[in-house]
Amino acid sequence: MTRSRMNTTARQQRNTAWALTAPALILMCVILLIPVVIATYLSFTNYALGNPGYDMVGTQNYEKLLTRSSYARMFTATFTYVVVVVPLSVGLGLGAALLINSLTHLRDVYKTIYFLPVMATLIAMAIAWEFMLHPTIGVINRTLETGCGTLIESLWPWLAYHCQNGMPLWLGDKRYAIWVICFVGIWQGFGFNMVLYLAGLTSVHRELYHAAEIDGVRSGWERFRLVTWPALGPTTVFVITISCIRAFQVFDTIEAFYPIGAGPGKSAYVMMFAIYEKGVKQNLVGMGAAITVLFLLFVMMITLAQRWFVERRVHY
Amino acid sequence: MANLHIDQIAKSFGQTQVLRGVSLHIEDGEFISLVGPSGCGKSTLLRIIAGLESQDSGDIQINNTSMAGTRAADRNLSMVFQSYALYPHLSVGENIAVPLRMRQLNTLQRLPLIGPLMPGARAARTAIQQAVTQAATTLEIDALLNRKPGQLSGGQRQRVALGRALVRDPAAFLLDEPLSNLDAKLRVQTRTEIAELHRRLGATFVYVTHDQVEAMTMSSRIAVMMSGEILQCGAPDVVYDDPDDIRVAEFIGSPKINILPATLQAQGQIHLLDTPLQLFTRKPHDSVQIGLRPEMIELAPAEAPAHDTRYAQLTGTLAHLENLGSELYAQIEVPGLPRRLILRAAPRQRSALHMGAPVALRFDTTQALIFDGVGKRVRHLLHAPDASWRQAS
Repeated sequence: MTRSRMNTTARQQRNTAWALTAPALILMCVILLIPVVIATYLSFTNYALGNPGYDMVGTQNYEKLLTRSSYARMFTATFTYVVVVVPLSVGLGLGAALLINSLTHLRDVYKTIYFLPVMATLIAMAIAWEFMLHPTIGVINRTLETGCGTLIESLWPWLAYHCQNGMPLWLGDKRYAIWVICFVGIWQGFGFNMVLYLAGLTSVHRELYHAAEIDGVRSGWERFRLVTWPALGPTTVFVITISCIRAFQVFDTIEAFYPIGAGPGKSAYVMMFAIYEKGVKQNLVGMGAAITVLFLLFVMMITLAQRWFVERRVHY
Repeated sequence: MANLHIDQIAKSFGQTQVLRGVSLHIEDGEFISLVGPSGCGKSTLLRIIAGLESQDSGDIQINNTSMAGTRAADRNLSMVFQSYALYPHLSVGENIAVPLRMRQLNTLQRLPLIGPLMPGARAARTAIQQAVTQAATTLEIDALLNRKPGQLSGGQRQRVALGRALVRDPAAFLLDEPLSNLDAKLRVQTRTEIAELHRRLGATFVYVTHDQVEAMTMSSRIAVMMSGEILQCGAPDVVYDDPDDIRVAEFIGSPKINILPATLQAQGQIHLLDTPLQLFTRKPHDSVQIGLRPEMIELAPAEAPAHDTRYAQLTGTLAHLENLGSELYAQIEVPGLPRRLILRAAPRQRSALHMGAPVALRFDTTQALIFDGVGKRVRHLLHAPDASWRQAS
């Protein structure tokens, strides 16, 4: 009798639990899991929007991805962007946060200045950058030109070369395009990392710095190594993960600079742009889905790496 | 090991004056407690000694050398923090080794991976390892050397913090409320251990606490601080038995001292509740207060002579009784007194104490602590009027 009553209570509790989590579960399925499953399925087809039917093409889309030279360029562009932008935007974010944290006055002013690019619409910023990078009237080349014929020219062979052969076409040159995109990415992204690091720095225990001082730590570098950097460990893992995912997702800069063609010689043909081009512009949904699946795989690997790091270094 | 000299230290935070010219001399090997209520400036004083905070004026001398312009890292002091301040990513052994690594290895030798390959690094590292093992053995934490601070209990962390302080040979140990995060039982145990450690090392200890029991039980001398000043500094029994100030008397001792308002009548005779006592002051005062420790008041024995002039009599009713097993604390409501009197009684007197029943009390007037209106101690009392009193007034 008691046992059956307990069973009833347990069952009721279980039902209530399911009922309460149902809205979240349903939403998660509808907006997250089902689209992923559909995308995975579509990546094995040649589906195109508007067509009455589609054929299963097996791994043909993936084979194209791994063999065609335009996709090889896509991987090169994407990984170049990630490998350059992530370490630099994380490093600059940390540096800016440490500098701002050491200030007594004007903290908020600097925070605002560094955070402005994050808040600004990138399309508008891209137009500003386009003007600045303009080969003839851009402020950058104008500034470089003033160095021609001076001591700087004799010390800097690169400048000397361009003084004679004309200033670089920053956005139009295959050699520079992806680096310019990287530069804008860093400029735009490091303010966000700075804010995350500033939040991380507030959680560093003040007394640890005092303990370090008593223990004979004299230089700022040693203090950073002994106290600040270990304490920022969890923040760093998070910042790197976020930066990686954001770097894989880069799209708007390229779309703003090169509405067609993803840069000279497809040198800035990053994954997101490829998904957009194939899946939306050319209506090759199957192909777009295949790139999407690959993209999701990369992001998942980063997330798993982050989980592993976070679980490995648990302090206090 | 060294002596410490604190000379006229003053410190303000904005408009708030935290220390008002504090001076104190600490002999080599002494255990000094800075005790006082929170906000009295004791931690600030300790941090100024350590060099973590700078004073507005005054000087700190360690071994007769002024520390003006010497940063904390170069003062050769060890400190134990209230939060222990252990480096969370380092193991216990590495935590204890930090002060030695920072002082005995150079920058290159400290580098990870290539550091141990630098010339001289191997020998130095072995020496550090030995010192760490020895410190850990002293504190009985040698089994924990590979654990991270996060895996330790509060008491164990506290020992690691102590280990980090005593692994090298500092001029003095500074301890900032090191027991306040421990539970009551562990606190009593660690108290004894720190006192024994001090005896064994023979080092100078400066110990900050708000707990007068810790200060009383561990120290060679107690400096009682209040509102940025040292009110009295002396051996624990002196501070307890012979306080200079009513605030010291009230702060030290548990239960708190009884303070009874009294009046001064002709010839400096002290009257308690309009009853004259055989106590006379040498000088006139606006008002006086009588301080009576709980053990100074006793239940008046029935057979006692009614008019023994040494004793003052009081009557009241028993309002509350606390039985601690080894002793009783009785709270007596005495008509005319603003607060209940607390007295200590022996357990065998339990039968004489009934709730709500009248109780006859007495205290020895020669033992009573007399304070003036502003709380300063009135010494040199007389038991007969002073012939020169009239002139003095």
